[in-house]
Amino acid sequence: MLEELTAVFPILSCILFLPVVGAIVLWFVDDEDTVRSSTLTIALVELALSVFVLLRFVPESAAMQFAERVQWIPALGISYHLAVDGISVLFVGLTAFLTVLVVVYSWDTIRHQVKLYMMCLLALETTTMGVFLSLDLILFFVFWELMLIPSYFMIKLWGGGAERHYAALKFVIYTLLGSVFMLVGIALLDINYHQWASLHHSDHAYSFDLLELLTVPIPIGQQILIFWLMFLGFAFKAPVFPFHTWLPDALLEGPIGMAVVLAGLKLGTFGFIRFSIPLLPDASKSDTVVMVVVVLGLCAILYGAWMALVQSDFRRLLAYSSVSHLGFVVVGLFALNYQGLQGSLLTMINLGFSTAGLFFIAGFLYSRQQTTQLAAFGGMARQVPLLATFFLIIGLASIGLPGTNGFVGEFLILLGAFEAKWWVGSVAVLGVIFGAAYFLWYYERSMLGPLGSAVKSTMSDLQLREMVIAVSLSIMILWIGLYPSPFLRIMNGSVQALVDRLHQEKTAALDNSVTEGR
Amino acid sequence: MNFVLNLSFSDLLLLLPEIFLTCWLCVVITVDFVSPRLPKERLAYLSVGGLLATLGCLAWFDVNQVSGTLFGNMFVLDRMAIFFKIFILGSTTLVILASIEYVDRFTLFRGEYYALVVMSALGMMFMASANDLLSVFVSLEFSTLGFYILVSYLRDDLASNEAGLKFFILGVFAAGLFAYGISLVYGETGKLVFSDMASAPATPGLIIGFLLIFAALGFKIGAVPFHSWIPDTYHGAPTPVTAFLSIAPKGAALAILLRIFIVALGTFKPTWIYLLVVVSIVSMTYGNIVAIAQRNIKRLLAYSGIAQIGNVLIGLAAGTKMGNDAILFYLLAYLFANIGAFAVVIAVSQAIGRDEIEDYRGLGRRSPFLAFSMLLFLLSLAGVPPLAGFIGKLYIFIAAIKEGLYTLITVGLINIVISMYYYLIVVKQMYINEPIDPSPISIRGHMKAVIYVGLAGTLVIGIYPQPFTDWVVAATLMFANFVTPAATITPPTLLIGS
Repeated sequence: MLEELTAVFPILSCILFLPVVGAIVLWFVDDEDTVRSSTLTIALVELALSVFVLLRFVPESAAMQFAERVQWIPALGISYHLAVDGISVLFVGLTAFLTVLVVVYSWDTIRHQVKLYMMCLLALETTTMGVFLSLDLILFFVFWELMLIPSYFMIKLWGGGAERHYAALKFVIYTLLGSVFMLVGIALLDINYHQWASLHHSDHAYSFDLLELLTVPIPIGQQILIFWLMFLGFAFKAPVFPFHTWLPDALLEGPIGMAVVLAGLKLGTFGFIRFSIPLLPDASKSDTVVMVVVVLGLCAILYGAWMALVQSDFRRLLAYSSVSHLGFVVVGLFALNYQGLQGSLLTMINLGFSTAGLFFIAGFLYSRQQTTQLAAFGGMARQVPLLATFFLIIGLASIGLPGTNGFVGEFLILLGAFEAKWWVGSVAVLGVIFGAAYFLWYYERSMLGPLGSAVKSTMSDLQLREMVIAVSLSIMILWIGLYPSPFLRIMNGSVQALVDRLHQEKTAALDNSVTEGR
Repeated sequence: MNFVLNLSFSDLLLLLPEIFLTCWLCVVITVDFVSPRLPKERLAYLSVGGLLATLGCLAWFDVNQVSGTLFGNMFVLDRMAIFFKIFILGSTTLVILASIEYVDRFTLFRGEYYALVVMSALGMMFMASANDLLSVFVSLEFSTLGFYILVSYLRDDLASNEAGLKFFILGVFAAGLFAYGISLVYGETGKLVFSDMASAPATPGLIIGFLLIFAALGFKIGAVPFHSWIPDTYHGAPTPVTAFLSIAPKGAALAILLRIFIVALGTFKPTWIYLLVVVSIVSMTYGNIVAIAQRNIKRLLAYSGIAQIGNVLIGLAAGTKMGNDAILFYLLAYLFANIGAFAVVIAVSQAIGRDEIEDYRGLGRRSPFLAFSMLLFLLSLAGVPPLAGFIGKLYIFIAAIKEGLYTLITVGLINIVISMYYYLIVVKQMYINEPIDPSPISIRGHMKAVIYVGLAGTLVIGIYPQPFTDWVVAATLMFANFVTPAATITPPTLLIGS
């Protein structure tokens, strides 16, 4: 049934191109209210399609589902290959969900050049979807790079800060620098495939297809080189400490909608679990690589949390807490065991709700006080009780309180880390404590206590649209926190397959060297 | 060598495009001479008509795989020559369409302008077919002669005169180097045809001779260190001429470079690869870094062109069939992006009268179409997916990685990041800064047509490159024999003639 359906109806292509087609149609719409409502319609249809995919997705399976494959540039072995598996399917839903919320949020907070903003937002959705859906490395790279263009415009044109020009340029140049190295890595994978293919079945084919590249053994030296090249690409984007310096600038200067997408969707770490670890298993588990990456992850956890502790601006605090959370994800990924990988994957999804949620809260605060500086707040819980409540719920999810989604993910990561190396786990635990400290401290100073002198007395509580955002995020947070098994079931199959691949690959590589020795 | 001219009618068929265009050129001059009151626009359409007919003829040649040699191998028509001829005529057609309004700025000889453009194109068509050193020299000078006049066409403009003079003096100097190089090569080998030289031993005289020839061709393509004429000439020349100069001669000279490096010198690849790697690295880095400091859009595009040539030379350094395919593909991508960018520059300068980058303030408000087109062209030049420039760069990098040229690739990739910086400076002016004078800019139909062609090329090649990759792969099929280390030379298949 499913095969028949996807054979006649390319649903992933629809998900991929619906937003950008919508953006083009918006070009011809003049009325601002029509622009807003049609963007919302497009985003909701996109969400419905994604939910449909999630519902029809066969859980506990490692298979690539809803696959679509067409040759794109045969001369270079580039194909148009889309599919979802347990690793990527949740991100598709998350992207669609967050985009709807961003559209709702931007309804009345974006006041100039509304049409262009909505077009940029929809274009950004397409490119993000493309990153999650692509199985061809060049197709992936295309979307990865394209994402920079709408992001650049969004930061520059609708950013609030005075330094936004600098922030936008820094963001583009940093990410581009990382991705050019990644492109070399991708090309090396292709050349390796070509050499192997011409040795073994004498057709001089090139391929960038993930599934085909997975079938080819790669010498360990080559693997390590490619790993570091791709690492740079993903690490700049993620961003992994010490490549993170663009993030606080971009998040602080850019518009809230942009910050939600940038901080909520963990594209860089997705790259690790999608491409680096499965394609380069021997490199990923070689001692030096694991050591360097895990130490970077631990540094990120501590450094991010520590920096967050001293920030007086809420958005900057969130940026550093993002760095810290990404450290957790990296540590979990490179524990390279079942719990670690599963925990990291779930945490990436969770951050999409909690970090993005806190950015929305920052946006709510910003639209009331025109700043997110701590000095402008204080004792606001009395004036805006609803805002304060949701701030607390989402914030507690972000520090991983049991009962919220953050707990499940972080717990699994710590479990995996302890299982891999006890000292990694024990350092990572420190990050949890710091995380609780910086959030609660900020919350206490902004929401509780005596009313701050700068707080306007006429401040209104959450509006309808803001309520929609806060409530839907809270529902997701509590759902994953209390009953995570549907989500875990979706990812189980793929994570298991990845773990199996990591552990059997050594023997396969040995066999290969034996055959080549003969 | 025995120059017995023994032409049959079927031999002349190989020359049909050139003969036709020569006749057409005479027609254009005569019409201008006979009826001086005719609007010059008509002359432009007349020239475009002739060019399109020639393009049609070449397309017919390409489909039917017409090939052969003439005049004792001096003139060769193979699929690569056809590719470059189509490339040259395509850019000429677009340049003529883009210059129709600009021509009004010339005080005198407006009609001859079109004739001179077509004449230069004719010279470059011969360059694409040149298969020995003498015909290279003659056709090179023939095409450059037209450019000497075109560059200084704005008679009352000091910059244009300066540009013409610089171009002329350095061009003549390069021609001198070239002639000296030919004499050395001929003295050492006694051969002029490229394929005959393939087995020659590497004597010092031969090496110096080829270095001189490379220097002269490096002058044509504007590779560092032979680039010094480029910024001032591009800046001073009439903008359509700059556009022409930045595309067509580079293509024609690359056709010759490909023949020399692969056919004549294929066996010396381990030696010349260092030369190309160094020139490529220096061109990319110098072009991109100096471009950052430019305030004038024409100078910016001039330096970006130097950097782009550095990228093309990566493909030449790879020295394989795939490298050659990549060069041809890259040139196609470059053609559409560059002609489009220059068309926008012409349209803006028609409205504003200046070419400074700060004049592009708020172009996004004043003309969304021009600004968006410029954005796409610049992004394609920078190599952002899914535009043509990205596939071109990817093609070249894969070809080079396959040959293990990692240093070259690393420098090339870092240069993409640098180039993105200055392209974004223009983007910022167009979209972020508010216009000083918010009046909208109107564009005329033929200008729009050029920009649309540029957009279509940039997008189609980027999104559906397969027909174009097939085309370039077929165009360089003749090199398949030359790229292996032990080069065995077989003459190209002849269907017509000799």
